[in-house]
Amino acid sequence: MAHHADAKRALDERGYKGQLVRGDNPLKLFEKPVRDRIVDSYYWKEQCFGLNAATLLDRATELSFVGGTYGVAQRPTPFLCLAFKLLQIVPDKEIILFYLEQEEYKYLRVLAAFYIRLAWEKDEEVYATLEPYLTDSRKLKRRTREGWALTYVDDFIDDLLLKSRVCATTLPKINPRLFLEDEDRLEPRISALGGELEELDGEDEEEDESNGEVEEVNGPVNGREHEADGSDEEMVGG
Amino acid sequence: MADHKGAYGASSSNDTSFRKTWDRSEYAAKAADRDQKIKEEGKARYQATLEGKKYHRRASTPEDTKDTEARSARLNVADKVGKTQIIVAGAGQGKRGKSAGFYCEACDLTYKDNLQFVEHLNSRQHLVATGESGEVRRAALEEVKDRFEYLKRKREEEKAREVVDLTSRIEVARDQEEREREEKRRKRNEKRRKTKDGLGVQEIKVENDGVIC
Ligand SMILES: [Zn+2]
Repeated sequence: MAHHADAKRALDERGYKGQLVRGDNPLKLFEKPVRDRIVDSYYWKEQCFGLNAATLLDRATELSFVGGTYGVAQRPTPFLCLAFKLLQIVPDKEIILFYLEQEEYKYLRVLAAFYIRLAWEKDEEVYATLEPYLTDSRKLKRRTREGWALTYVDDFIDDLLLKSRVCATTLPKINPRLFLEDEDRLEPRISALGGELEELDGEDEEEDESNGEVEEVNGPVNGREHEADGSDEEMVGG
Repeated sequence: MADHKGAYGASSSNDTSFRKTWDRSEYAAKAADRDQKIKEEGKARYQATLEGKKYHRRASTPEDTKDTEARSARLNVADKVGKTQIIVAGAGQGKRGKSAGFYCEACDLTYKDNLQFVEHLNSRQHLVATGESGEVRRAALEEVKDRFEYLKRKREEEKAREVVDLTSRIEVARDQEEREREEKRRKRNEKRRKTKDGLGVQEIKVENDGVIC
C-alpha cells in the first residue's frame, strides 16, 4: 500500500488508514513533542518528503551520526527523522532485515535495529534478530543534547535491549531475556566471547567479595535510566 | 478550404468514434466502486461525528496522476546564500510571477526563503499543479537491493575519483614547486651575472638597526 507524502495526514487521527503497529498508528511511537519537532524540521521537509524504502537509502547511507534531539531548540537528528519516516512507510520485514544485514553502512544497520526495537511486536524475535550484532564493534558518533559522544554498534544494540529510553524515544516495553528463557520462548544465548566472558565473571566475583558489596551492573530493565550527558532527557512541554 | 476538418483532425465533425464506448460491465464496476466510496465516506463521517470532529472529504484523485517521489538532490539554495534579496510583502504567501527569491515555475509563484519554498513544493497546491497524487509508491525488496547496489557503486566511484584527484593534485603541486625552484635559480644567476666579480651583491648587515633586542 502506498503511503501519503504528507505526514500531517498520517498523523491526523481521523484519517489514518495505514498499517498498524502494536494496534496503533506507528508514528505515535514517538512522543508528540518529538513528532512536532520532526515534521517542523527543514531536514524532514526537504530531505524526507516522498521517500520510499528504496530512496530512503539515499539518505540513510549518508548518515554520519546517531542521536535523538539536540541543542536548546531540541532539533531532531537526521537519524531520528529517518526512523520516523520508516514508521510512516512500515517497510516489509524482509526490507528491514536487508538494511540490518548489509555490512557497508553501519548507520543504516543501527537505524534498522532502532526500528525493529520500536515496531516489532514479538519480544523473542527482537532479541534473536538484534543479538547477532552485539559482535559489531564499529564506532558510531552520537549527537548528544549538548555535544558529541562516541559509542559503538554493539553498545547501541545493547542499549536498545536494556534501556527504556534511546534517542529521545521511550522504547515499548520488552520482557527481559531471562523471563523469555524461563518461558521457553528463547534459547539461552551463547555469547560470542564464550569462555572468556566466564573468566571475566569469575574475576568480578573475586573483586566483589573483597569489596564486600555487590555492584548492580545493568540496573533495572524497566526502570527509567537517564544518561549522564542528559542527551536523552525528556522533552520539555507537551 | 474545401476539406473541412475538425479541430482534432477528425475528418468529419459528425464522427463520434473518438468517444469512449461504455462497456456494460465496466459501467457496473464503476457504479459499485462509487457505491463503495459513498458507503466508506458515510462510515468515516459517522465515525468523525462520534468523536466530535468534523469530517473532511478527501479530494478524489485523477487517474493520470503520477506518484510523488523524493527529491533526487538537495534543493539548490547555496547559490542564493549571501546574495541580497528583496523580501516580498506578505511573507508566507507566494508572490505571483517570477521575482527575486525562490521561483516555482509550475505554479508561477515566488517565495522569499527556502523554507517557504520547500513547504510550497510539498503542498497540495503544488502537487496538483504538477499532476502528482501525493501518494508515494511502495518499494519492493528487489528495488531496495538495486538502489543499494547503485549507491554502493556510486560511493566506490567517488572514492576512486578522490584518489585520482589526490594523486593528480600531488603531481600538480610537485610541478609547481619545481617551476618555482627553477625560477628562483634563474633569478639568482641573473643577479650574480650583474655584478663584476660574479659574486652577486653582498648582504650588508647593520647592527642596531632599530630592532630592540
Ligand atoms: Zn509549485
